[in-house]
Amino acid sequence: MQGYIIRRIVGAVFVVFLVGTFSFFAIRVLPGDFATASLGLDAGSANAETIAQRKADLGLDLPIGEQYANWLWDTVRLDLGTSFLTQNSVWYEIGRSLPYSLELGVLIMIVGFTVAIPVGLISAIFQDKALDYSLRGLAILALAAPVFWTAAIASLVVLQWDLFLIDVIGQPHLWEDPGRAITWYLIPMFAGGFAGTATTMRLLRSQMLEVLRQDYVRTARSKGLTESAVIIRHALRNALLPVLTVMGVTIATIIGSQVILENMFNIPGIGNKVLTSLFSRDNPVFQSVVLIIAVFTVLTNLVVDIMYGVIDPRIRLS
Amino acid sequence: MSQIADPTVVPLRDPTILERLGSSMVSLGRFLRGKPLGGSGLIVVVIFIFVALLAPFIQRHDPDKIFEGPNPDYKANPTVIELARNPDVGSPVVVEQFVEPSSGHWFGTDKFGRDIWSQVVHGARLSLIVGLGASVIAVVGGLIIGMISAYYAGLVDLLIQRLVDMLQAIPFLVLVLVFTQITERSVLNVVLWLGVAGLAITTRLIRSAVLGVRESEFVLAARVVGASDLRIMIRHVLPNVVAVLIIAFSIGIGAYILAEASISFLGAGPQGIPSWGQMVQAGRGSLDLHPWQTVFAGAAIMLIVLGFNLLGDALRDVLDPRLRGA
Repeated sequence: MQGYIIRRIVGAVFVVFLVGTFSFFAIRVLPGDFATASLGLDAGSANAETIAQRKADLGLDLPIGEQYANWLWDTVRLDLGTSFLTQNSVWYEIGRSLPYSLELGVLIMIVGFTVAIPVGLISAIFQDKALDYSLRGLAILALAAPVFWTAAIASLVVLQWDLFLIDVIGQPHLWEDPGRAITWYLIPMFAGGFAGTATTMRLLRSQMLEVLRQDYVRTARSKGLTESAVIIRHALRNALLPVLTVMGVTIATIIGSQVILENMFNIPGIGNKVLTSLFSRDNPVFQSVVLIIAVFTVLTNLVVDIMYGVIDPRIRLS
Repeated sequence: MSQIADPTVVPLRDPTILERLGSSMVSLGRFLRGKPLGGSGLIVVVIFIFVALLAPFIQRHDPDKIFEGPNPDYKANPTVIELARNPDVGSPVVVEQFVEPSSGHWFGTDKFGRDIWSQVVHGARLSLIVGLGASVIAVVGGLIIGMISAYYAGLVDLLIQRLVDMLQAIPFLVLVLVFTQITERSVLNVVLWLGVAGLAITTRLIRSAVLGVRESEFVLAARVVGASDLRIMIRHVLPNVVAVLIIAFSIGIGAYILAEASISFLGAGPQGIPSWGQMVQAGRGSLDLHPWQTVFAGAAIMLIVLGFNLLGDALRDVLDPRLRGA
């Protein structure tokens, strides 16, 4: 078991290293750089000399190999550098935006799973009944609808009904002002939740159907257990395991939809940082933000795999 | 003696994938009846293909045409004050912006007075090109990489698997955004990059399918006979993973269409062609009073993705029941 965990951790660290390398080179391969872009705004003053000067200030004039070595060494020492755009340290930028993304992400997952698990369960119990078909139909719709459209339509409906006015002045955290924060997150969390967990619902349904045919479920039934005990204690617990294994994918999907939702609703989170740093060629922020996202997904996968290995010994061998 | 086949002995073999696909596709009616959801998906897809092909005939107006109508407030010689209140008062015609859906404009007009129905019809072209094109690239690339990875195991396999892990650790949307920024954002480039971003998933799917076939006895037999690696791959492995190829192809399409719509929504999509994602974004500026552009463009995205997803699910069930729900 220890060997398995160590192998997995080494693999995970290597993947994070690859992602960092990828984002380092990706942002530099893109046409344009921050020095040119920032000077290009004041037309006329930008001659070749000032651009070169600016590049030297930002460290963009060094040979790519040297830049890479510097980046690697700094990152290993957890020094993420300074944002080109704001001149703040990247850690400060991340510290400011990460809480928003975590709040939204957790809310999306809460909404998603509180919908997906009962719905998947009900759908499996009433297999091929009208209820099953309509729930599955809804899941298929949720999977097909672009998250930005669902969110736009939801905000249209909410604004039309005038249920509440969204405050555009500031974005409070959940722990500061729960009421206003929830108002702020309401539409993105539902839009993201439905989009992110339709897969979970469908997977849970098919797993439930398989588990319900197993012998141990028949045994439980013939012991005279109540139907709810059979389904929740015996079937659901086994059916949830495969759902756990796709958590990594689910989280990647949720982060992807968060990029769009944070952009739409002006939430200053990590997803928004990805976009602004990418479009403004803010190399240090972009590399770090992509790295952080990768650490999240890789860590989730790692924890899930190890937990799965603990629960199901057969996995360790493969 | 041995050449004469005994007619009573029917060679025992599993039906090949093509035969299985054929038997369910030969009578389309049976497929439609057996898989009503997949059938309706197929119908939706076929309708969209026709709309895209026949867009110039189905459109009711040129999608770029700006409609103008008589100005109700027109005054021949406006005073300066009237002009300051309403800059359009001096012109006899104004742009017919935000017309509600009517017989003249089925879906209404947008901010610039263009017919939304015609734009939505033309948007089908981009979505179909992107969805089908990117999926072809991802499957062909995934087939080559996945086969090499599975067949040559060892270090090559390990390296490819870690690269696949790397691509999957980055959200698909971010990957696509980065890739599409590298080159000029023409339709062809966007299709190409979407396919490249999708390589991770197809490679993984195809690799595991090849791994399953690799250990089978007919591959061993071919190797014993002295067949080359290339021959084994093409003649023995490939025909046995066709089902996975079709599945990988059909279930990816919806995701690529959504990804293109998303980057277009964020303003980073292909340029110079009507795009549904970009239309959803354009309509958001006037969403509270004139939601039609956003509503119809988004509904079109949902419908086409729905069609491809339903078709893909049904194909997967028919071709490989074990992958059900995966």
